[in-house]
Amino acid sequence: MFITDIRKEFYEVVANQRVALLVAADIDALCACKILQALFHCDQVQYTLVPVTGWQDLGTAFLEHKEQFRYFVLINCGANVDLLEMLQPDDDTIFFICDTHRPVDVVNVYNDSQVKLLIKQDDDLGVPSYDDIFRDEDEEEEGDDSGNDSDDGSEPSGKRRRYDEGALERRIERQRAKREWEARRREILFDYEQYEYHGTSASLMIFELAWVLTKDTKDMLWWSVIGLTDQWVHDKITHMKYITDVATLQRHVSRHNHRNEDEENSLSIDCMRISFEYDLRLTLYQHWSLYESICNSCYTTCNFKLWTLNGQKKLQEFLADMGLPLKQVRQKFHSMDMSIKENLKDIIEESSNKYGMKDIRIQTFGVHFGFKNRFLASDMVHATTALLESTEKDENDGDNFIKALDSLSRSNLERLHSGIDQAKKKLIAIQQTVASCICTNLILSQGPFLYCYLTEGTPDIKLFSKPLALTLLCKYLLKAFVLSTRNKRCKLLPLIMAAPRDTEKGTVIVVGIPPESETSDKKNFFGRAFEKAAESTSSRTLHDHFDTSIIELKMEDRSKFLDALITLLS
Amino acid sequence: MDSDPLFTGDSCAAQRSAMQAGPSCDTRARLCQFKNKGKDANELRRRRAEVNVELRKAKKDEQIQKKRNVVSQHNEQLPQWTVDEILEGVNSQSLVHQLQATQAARKLLSREIHPPIDSIISAGLIPKFVWFLILSECPPIQFEAAWALTNIASGKSEQTRAVVEAGAVSAFINLVSSPHPHISEQAIWALGNIAGDGPDFRDMVLKHGGLKPLVTLLDVPDLCVYPSDYLRNLTWTISNLCRNKNPAPPLKAVEQMLPALSRLLHHSDIPVLADTCWALSYLTDGSNERIEVVVQAGLVPLLVRLLSCGEIPIVTPALRSLGNIVTGTDEQTQCVLNAGALAMFPQLLRHTRPNLQKEAAWTVSNITAGKESQIQEVIDAGLIPILVEILRHGDYKTQKEALWAVTNYTSGGNIEQLAYLVHCEVLPSLFRLLSAKDSKIILIILDAIVNILQMAEKTGEIDKLSLTFEEYGGIEKIEGLQSHENEAVYKAALNIIDRFFSLDNEDDESVTSEATADGYAFQAPQNKSTFQF
Repeated sequence: MFITDIRKEFYEVVANQRVALLVAADIDALCACKILQALFHCDQVQYTLVPVTGWQDLGTAFLEHKEQFRYFVLINCGANVDLLEMLQPDDDTIFFICDTHRPVDVVNVYNDSQVKLLIKQDDDLGVPSYDDIFRDEDEEEEGDDSGNDSDDGSEPSGKRRRYDEGALERRIERQRAKREWEARRREILFDYEQYEYHGTSASLMIFELAWVLTKDTKDMLWWSVIGLTDQWVHDKITHMKYITDVATLQRHVSRHNHRNEDEENSLSIDCMRISFEYDLRLTLYQHWSLYESICNSCYTTCNFKLWTLNGQKKLQEFLADMGLPLKQVRQKFHSMDMSIKENLKDIIEESSNKYGMKDIRIQTFGVHFGFKNRFLASDMVHATTALLESTEKDENDGDNFIKALDSLSRSNLERLHSGIDQAKKKLIAIQQTVASCICTNLILSQGPFLYCYLTEGTPDIKLFSKPLALTLLCKYLLKAFVLSTRNKRCKLLPLIMAAPRDTEKGTVIVVGIPPESETSDKKNFFGRAFEKAAESTSSRTLHDHFDTSIIELKMEDRSKFLDALITLLS
Repeated sequence: MDSDPLFTGDSCAAQRSAMQAGPSCDTRARLCQFKNKGKDANELRRRRAEVNVELRKAKKDEQIQKKRNVVSQHNEQLPQWTVDEILEGVNSQSLVHQLQATQAARKLLSREIHPPIDSIISAGLIPKFVWFLILSECPPIQFEAAWALTNIASGKSEQTRAVVEAGAVSAFINLVSSPHPHISEQAIWALGNIAGDGPDFRDMVLKHGGLKPLVTLLDVPDLCVYPSDYLRNLTWTISNLCRNKNPAPPLKAVEQMLPALSRLLHHSDIPVLADTCWALSYLTDGSNERIEVVVQAGLVPLLVRLLSCGEIPIVTPALRSLGNIVTGTDEQTQCVLNAGALAMFPQLLRHTRPNLQKEAAWTVSNITAGKESQIQEVIDAGLIPILVEILRHGDYKTQKEALWAVTNYTSGGNIEQLAYLVHCEVLPSLFRLLSAKDSKIILIILDAIVNILQMAEKTGEIDKLSLTFEEYGGIEKIEGLQSHENEAVYKAALNIIDRFFSLDNEDDESVTSEATADGYAFQAPQNKSTFQF
């Protein structure tokens, strides 16, 4: 069921209990987790934090903790499956689910006792009404027994009533109605479950809880900003949704800034100041050189088509148009002349407009830690994601999770900086891969979708065995492809990418994303399609990721799986 | 006067012992005991089965009732009359109004959900309806009233009683001969509900002469003149007139019914045949005298033929009837055998329905309780390996019946027949079943084992058999039973060890001579050790 009063129905319930906190591996979940941890510290709530990377992980974590815990809080996982069916919990176990995954499973919605959804009901949920999908069993079988001849060899009844002439017809009519109802139910559920998408960020939900409890701090607000920005960076929500939620957060930001005006207006070494910005869509530019940022940001590379000679030429013209000395552009941003930096955003915006990049600026937030450190929300997202999916050392998911979580704390700037370094490498790798895929025509049109397979020898292939990295690559690649292809039909197609996941096990990771367009609703139908295709070909697949559009597949089953997908979607 | 089952049992036992030649006095006593007791046991078992069915049915009804409570009374297309409106209509002077009101009542009583039987009764409508039954100038109201009363009588006993006490029985009996088939059918149906209530109302219908018009209906050259539903209702009502014991229906009525049942047994409609067979199963569920009436009517060959028809609704009651008949005298049993019934048993004993398997095994157990020649027929039909198979891995209830069959066989069979049984490897299965929880079962098995051992003793093959016993862990099992909590079991087990597996006969005697419970407990281990060494 949906919780309407998050304080009474959630926080006050768990406040005096031991809580198991199961957190998915994405930045929004991490941020929500940070906020909740801060609240729990504040109220001395005992909790155990368990990172979970997929359904199997979730199942194991539940089994390991179900003896000690009655209350489970699930962040960014659990909403889109029938959780009770999957976990088979005891009757007194209670799940609080704060998850952006949509659609929410109908059983979770209509279970009143064990499943509590921390999900805003004003989100565009479209849950079918109860009566359309559930019916009391009793109603159905009624009237089966006419008291007349039975064919099972049991003794005839001693007395028999004679029914109405209409009884038989009514029974047939009821059965027909029942069949119709079932067909309609299937249809309704099909429509409802067909597309996967994301709702309001978990960190925003939890931040609002903190706000309701009047325990919200600037740190919490900043985490919430990062959580929302994660949804934008990883292209999970529509532009409209992003702008709306930014506006919500902006109100909180100005409230906080206003509240603490007197004390903190005087900058101190440990102060923190969040500001609303209308900043450039140049990734990590404040921690890179402007030039490198332009060359590795999706927005600019795609618009210039930097993988072409012409594109490179255009970039040079663009830089010249801005009138910035190349030396300045190529050196570290923080070493750039203050005079250039002063109205840099306006200069860049003006030139970008000429080059058809009308929305190089976007509403976002920045933060100042003390005097020196300034970060944009998207910087944080990229850095933390890089840490979360780090492939540098042979560390396991759990270690990466903790590191990523740490990097979100103000006190851990070093870790954040190492994350930024890894993020740069990742972005460079993405751009290079995009360029090589486009230049060598690796993107194939399969009819109903585009398909790109990264073979074993591709550089940085290990990086792309991770779901978030591969998804980001997918998005950038599709944008680049749409801008470079002349085939109008292909511009409208979704993309499936596959990359080696585990060479020893011989598996590939497969990601499907919806078509790229300005007005895209970001709804993804690949989850269902993957399930069906796997089923019909009995391919050996693993649907373990919380996003159903990300699966693992045995290398050898790839072609039959794809064939089935093509047939299915044609 | 109805025959006393105990008395017939005794006379049968006397007969049996007179015929018995050969087996020791012990065996014969045991055998007599069986025929006597066994029959009671069978009856007990049968009764228990019936209670089961009843309970299951009651539960099902309850469930339906429960379900009905849930359902709101929707989608009744016509506006319904209230009971008060009906009462007013029925009491009006106009026949048209009366008819409409009666029809409205009938409709209320015919709806699937919560028919308001009790409010109709307490409104005092029944006498009115019964009155309408005789309004032969207005067949529609006769029909509506008959239907309404049928449904009232279909309820609980008090509800049926209310109809009977209003004098409906003779009115319905008259209507059976109504020139309007639908009224006749409705009257037959109503009589079925009344007779189905129990022996009292059944006999009341019979006493009012209800049977005559019913069987007369069957006195036509071809039953196909009747619509199938009509004939089915008629058959069902006749079967209800055969139904229920304590007391069973009067023999005179039964004799009157049998030609009709014979007639119906030649028909081809499945529900008609099924209900006819059920009727026969009721009639044969009683004393030998009652079985005799059915046998004399020449119905056994027909029943046997139906055993192989493959329709479960027919096979079930046909088998039940034949099973009942073989609980009777050897001659009655022979009549079933002569009709070739055993040919169907390999199939029935392996039927997919456990219930049919069980009934088949029960039937065989009563045949193996018969003469040597009858046991031989069972052997010749190839049933022994199948029984052993059931003992090895059958449904528990079927196993129990198969055990009875084996034990009866061992007590009535001759040396060759017992040797054949052992040859069929019955012993390992018997030993395995000694681990059963039910001490009654253990006692039956021990009986069979004693019988087999006695036979071996007589032929001097006890040593050879002992080997088999040891090989399959039989001795161990029986020794184990000496510490069984049930006294009869432990005594029986001790007796077997003592008599057959004790090396020293003197020891034996000393044990038996000072046979107190304590003495056994002390000396048994000693016995065991001497045996093992």
